[in-house]
Amino acid sequence: MRVGLIGALAVFLSVSPTVRLSAQDTTAGKTVYVKWCAGCHGETGDGKGVAALYMLPRPRDFTGAVYKIRTTASGQLPTDADLMRAIDEGLPGTAMPAWQTRLSDGERRNVMAYLKTFSSFFSDTSQHPQLLKFSSEPGGGTGAEALRVGRQFYDSIHCYKCHGPQGRGDGPSAPDLKDDPGQPILAADLHENWRFRGGATAEDIYRQLRTGLDGTPMPSFSDLLDQKFLTEEQLWRVAQYVRSLSPPKAPEVRDVIHARQIAGTLPVSPDDSAWSRVDDYYFPLVGQIIRKPRWFAPAVAAIWVQALHNGNAIAVRLTWDDRSQSPDTGWNKYTRRLLQTMASDDSGPQTLAPWPDQLAVQFPPKIPEGMERPYFLMGSNSGSVYQWRWRSAPRGAVAGLARGIDRFDTLPPASGPAARAVWDHGQWRVVFTRTLATADTANELQFAVGRAIPVAFFAWDGSSAERDTRMALSTWYFLALDQPTPPGTFISPVIAMVVTLGLGMLVVVRAQRRDGRRAAARG
Amino acid sequence: MTRSPNLRRYLDHPFWQALGLLVLAYLVIVYGVPLLPGSSLVPSSVVLQYMVTVLVGVLIYVSDNDERWALFKQPLVAMLVEQRLRLVRILVLAVVTLLVGWVTFGQVRTTVAAPPNLRSIHPAPPAEVTFRGKTMTLTGLENPLRQQPESLAAFTAYGKEIYYQNCLPCHGDHLDGLGHFAAGFNPLPANFQDNGTIAQLTESFVFWRVAKGGPGLPREGTPWNSAMPRWEDFLTERQIWAVILFLYDQTGWKPRTWEKAEGGAK
Ligand code: HEC
Ligand code: HEC
Repeated sequence: MRVGLIGALAVFLSVSPTVRLSAQDTTAGKTVYVKWCAGCHGETGDGKGVAALYMLPRPRDFTGAVYKIRTTASGQLPTDADLMRAIDEGLPGTAMPAWQTRLSDGERRNVMAYLKTFSSFFSDTSQHPQLLKFSSEPGGGTGAEALRVGRQFYDSIHCYKCHGPQGRGDGPSAPDLKDDPGQPILAADLHENWRFRGGATAEDIYRQLRTGLDGTPMPSFSDLLDQKFLTEEQLWRVAQYVRSLSPPKAPEVRDVIHARQIAGTLPVSPDDSAWSRVDDYYFPLVGQIIRKPRWFAPAVAAIWVQALHNGNAIAVRLTWDDRSQSPDTGWNKYTRRLLQTMASDDSGPQTLAPWPDQLAVQFPPKIPEGMERPYFLMGSNSGSVYQWRWRSAPRGAVAGLARGIDRFDTLPPASGPAARAVWDHGQWRVVFTRTLATADTANELQFAVGRAIPVAFFAWDGSSAERDTRMALSTWYFLALDQPTPPGTFISPVIAMVVTLGLGMLVVVRAQRRDGRRAAARG
Repeated sequence: MTRSPNLRRYLDHPFWQALGLLVLAYLVIVYGVPLLPGSSLVPSSVVLQYMVTVLVGVLIYVSDNDERWALFKQPLVAMLVEQRLRLVRILVLAVVTLLVGWVTFGQVRTTVAAPPNLRSIHPAPPAEVTFRGKTMTLTGLENPLRQQPESLAAFTAYGKEIYYQNCLPCHGDHLDGLGHFAAGFNPLPANFQDNGTIAQLTESFVFWRVAKGGPGLPREGTPWNSAMPRWEDFLTERQIWAVILFLYDQTGWKPRTWEKAEGGAK
């Protein structure tokens, strides 16, 4: 059936290479749809494209006409502009990409028109979506008072029930959430606004609070305004408070983690105040889809890394958001739903087990001289990697050598890393410490200052059924142990400055002398 | 609108014109250019190049005419000699000196940078490979599915299904290497829309790359970094040929052929 359709279209396309269209031509829209959207959203718009099982959230079923991105009241159809926004900008944090730079204006308009034909709701002209009236953002949104008011209402209108007291999506109701089609859904981590479906700004958040994300448990709060439970300004304060939880700018990946050298003892506790003064590096993690069994719904989206050394030992602090302190039977419902939802390379049913949370930090066993290093995905038979592995239960860390994704040999604990961990409202913070040099120079990485040391990260969330090859991973980045700038470095800048100043004074003196002569001649 | 005579004096003066032009050029290059569709932030080394070009242009303009040149020099000379501008003079000297010191410090300070990734994008393929125990000669090998033109559409549709279920998270639904997992990988997944990837390659080369993945690359292809899976472990020979059909069909590129070895046409 599908094959025939595509074949017919291919013929259609090849005989009419230039299809010139009026705006919103649904026939042309269908061509675009079949070519670029149907793989996910399905030929009939039912959201059951061939790729649907390999992503979460699932592609939208357009036959229901339920949309997350709207400027209309909850339960209403979106406007054309709303649909265009979703198509142009995509839904961050999901597989739905931004099409603005990939399809022409005409193609996007046409495909939007075609989407609407999947549901009879759009053709019912007696229905007019009711546009919400949005107020404009009150100033002072980053001030302490505004944030205090925002926080107060965040609690009193029960955002915390889903999003958790610190906004990391770990509220008491979080494990039981599902969307209208019955798929498991997570309450958004409010510290990662670059992954919000409807946009990152306070204005976007305010709009989403007014409209709700239809089809999900995330409600609209417009009725609270009608009931005078809170004012427009107070709702804006909630949006501004939520905005303040994320960094001012979306984080950027920097290749090299710099570990500053400090004097004295390293901060070994994850909550030592010294860490607040250390540069924080962001690395996105993605699902392990390279070796069987693959994992298409990684729970840990990113990891933040800080490092310090004191010439004798190194401390690395890793921070990542994880809604559950696994194993936690409170999350079993979610785990079970997730296992039923995601495609898997395994045959047979998946049985639940109390899987812990885990983290691995990976280095080569030796700092490479050339550019060659072990295979980033946990080494191979021919080249092992040196890893620190931490787990939440039984709590602790070991060092070991991995020779491929399925082979990990623990090294004797003597020189292994020490690890201290804290789980705090949806976030793990773990500090590893180890001496730079160890006795087992053959297997254990000997840290050296001033070198680019390859490093990679792996994370597992037990409550998302992650264990073994089901994990989130990164490729190789680098760690550098910096040295304090040697005094010799300051010599050439000082010389350059003296020369510049000398020349500058010379120019001034000469100019003044010439001017004096000229004045004398004139006078 | 009438300009105040004071402002006019500045606007007509070549020195302030030149200064204004430099500031304007800087603002356009740094903040204006990234707003243009399809462009990104201008790297600082390129900004410097542009600014030097603008400066040279400006200097040629002001020195082109004696009168203008004299006028241009006036504020500079005044800054150097006049008693009332003493503070400005000291400030300019101090700023220039500090700037030189800072730039030199930036040059001599050693920081550790990521080592350069010298990577051959299309390393030479082996003459033959073993695919699931079967030896295949790559040289001269054509996509066998193309021998059945009547079923080509069906094979392509099959390839699309395989692509969407396996390749999509990395190479993306637009085949541009920007799937929803792409940000996690370095090097980034290959962009098939680009004229430098499949457009340059024979289908047998693509078959080798798909079948053996990152771990199958020779050393110059930096196999330790590539996240490309070894699809031999997941897909049959026929499935790989089908997904290759889809890659060319969806992007509109023509595979490079063995006889003519030209390719690269859309
Ligand atoms: C890689 C798979 C994929 C492809 C291809 C894809 N989408 Fe989506 N799309 C999704 C997913 C997943 C969602 C649901 C995201 C969510 O619910 O948060 C979605 C949601 C949407 C929505 C709903 C937005 C809203 O407000 O709720 C629209 C509209 C949409 N897609 C249009 C398109 C169009 C048009 C195309 C083709 C040009 C397309 N999509 C191609 C995956 C895809
Ligand atoms: C019943 C549970 C629930 C409650 C209560 C709730 N949310 Fe949500 N919220 C969710 C879910 C689930 C999502 C994720 C929706 C998705 O992934 O599409 C979400 C998403 C969000 C987002 C991201 C929006 C976007 O564009 O992706 C923000 C911001 C947000 N919620 C803020 C709030 C605030 C503020 C409150 C209180 C005023 C609140 N939520 C109350 C469940 C809830």
